[in-house]
Amino acid sequence: MRGPLKLEVWKMGFVNYLDALKLQEKLVSDRKLCRIPDTLLSLQHPPTYTLGKRRTDHNLLIPASELKNIGAELHYTQRGGDITFHGPHQAILYPIISLREIGLGARNYVEKLESTMIELSSLYGVKACAGQKGETGVWVGERKIGAIGVRISHGITSHGLAFNIDPELKYFKHIVPCGITDKEVTSLRRETSTMLPSEEVIHEQLISCFARLFGYNTVVWKENPSILSDHEEIA
Amino acid sequence: MALRMWASSTANALKISCASKPYLSLSRCFSTVLDGLKYAESHEWVKHEGSVATIGITDHAQDHLGEVVFVELPEPGGSVSKGKGFGAVESVKATSDINSPISGEIVEVNSKLSEAPGMINSSPYEEGWMIKVKPSSPSELESLMGSKEYTKFCEEEDASH
Repeated sequence: MRGPLKLEVWKMGFVNYLDALKLQEKLVSDRKLCRIPDTLLSLQHPPTYTLGKRRTDHNLLIPASELKNIGAELHYTQRGGDITFHGPHQAILYPIISLREIGLGARNYVEKLESTMIELSSLYGVKACAGQKGETGVWVGERKIGAIGVRISHGITSHGLAFNIDPELKYFKHIVPCGITDKEVTSLRRETSTMLPSEEVIHEQLISCFARLFGYNTVVWKENPSILSDHEEIA
Repeated sequence: MALRMWASSTANALKISCASKPYLSLSRCFSTVLDGLKYAESHEWVKHEGSVATIGITDHAQDHLGEVVFVELPEPGGSVSKGKGFGAVESVKATSDINSPISGEIVEVNSKLSEAPGMINSSPYEEGWMIKVKPSSPSELESLMGSKEYTKFCEEEDASH
């Protein structure tokens, strides 16, 4: 039986993608040296397309030079997974946790991230499920509501999940999302007939689902954590 | 707890390496651990034959990763350091660093893995080998685990979940 497990949650509001990446790199290093406990970043990004380690930029359907015109950035990363879009009204969780300490491998970890989003969806009467083999992510029928892309370095995780609360879905038209053709992207707003509460509530519910599924006994909340960014939190 | 002890003693009686959670179905339980190899805590194996050491990831590792769809390996001629990353694999939308259990010069890389990354899953100790290294500090091999130690290590790691 393992001892009590503590999770520190950073509620960060809007964060520029590169700032979040730099912060994660620092936290991964700190976590590896056991300077910090398991940490969870909860945030949103301004419109941003990202690619994974395989650099599948053939799945970006508009020239990279045109991205500025639509108000979006493009970043190459070391995470797994294909191309995706992040933007306002999409809830992002970046867990920086030690998989070795909780005895999870990559497969089990990703399954739990899927379960986190599935559980959140069910709070709003939405029946979501994990993808078929090779299609990691969370689906409502043939429509994708949540994406996953993770990096594991010396057993410490970074990057994570992105759950569509109510993002501007037209941004997904400029990519083959996650490299899967002929499948739509959807959102909680589209799939539920329930009235949605404020996004802050939904973010907190997502965090609670995560904490419960991963067995954290203690959750510590860090409001307005400092980060090197010019961006202010947008309510 | 009692079930775990029963399963362990049954496994011992049957002389089987049990490297997974015993309270799951026993038929699901056994990752293969080969005698004669050395093992790192980050689940890589080393096979030392003469002046060359072959490195790959274990059956336990590939099982916990899921289906490998992409492998990134260094070029021959480069070097590796004990405990440092030399490449990565991708499975289930997760990239996982692979760390070298020993230091040395890379003399050969398994180029077949770029076309057939799944060999890591189907044959982790043979066709799924990743790099061959000329060890620069052969004494590093002594600090690695043997098969029995590694089996126990995996058991304990899985039980902590």
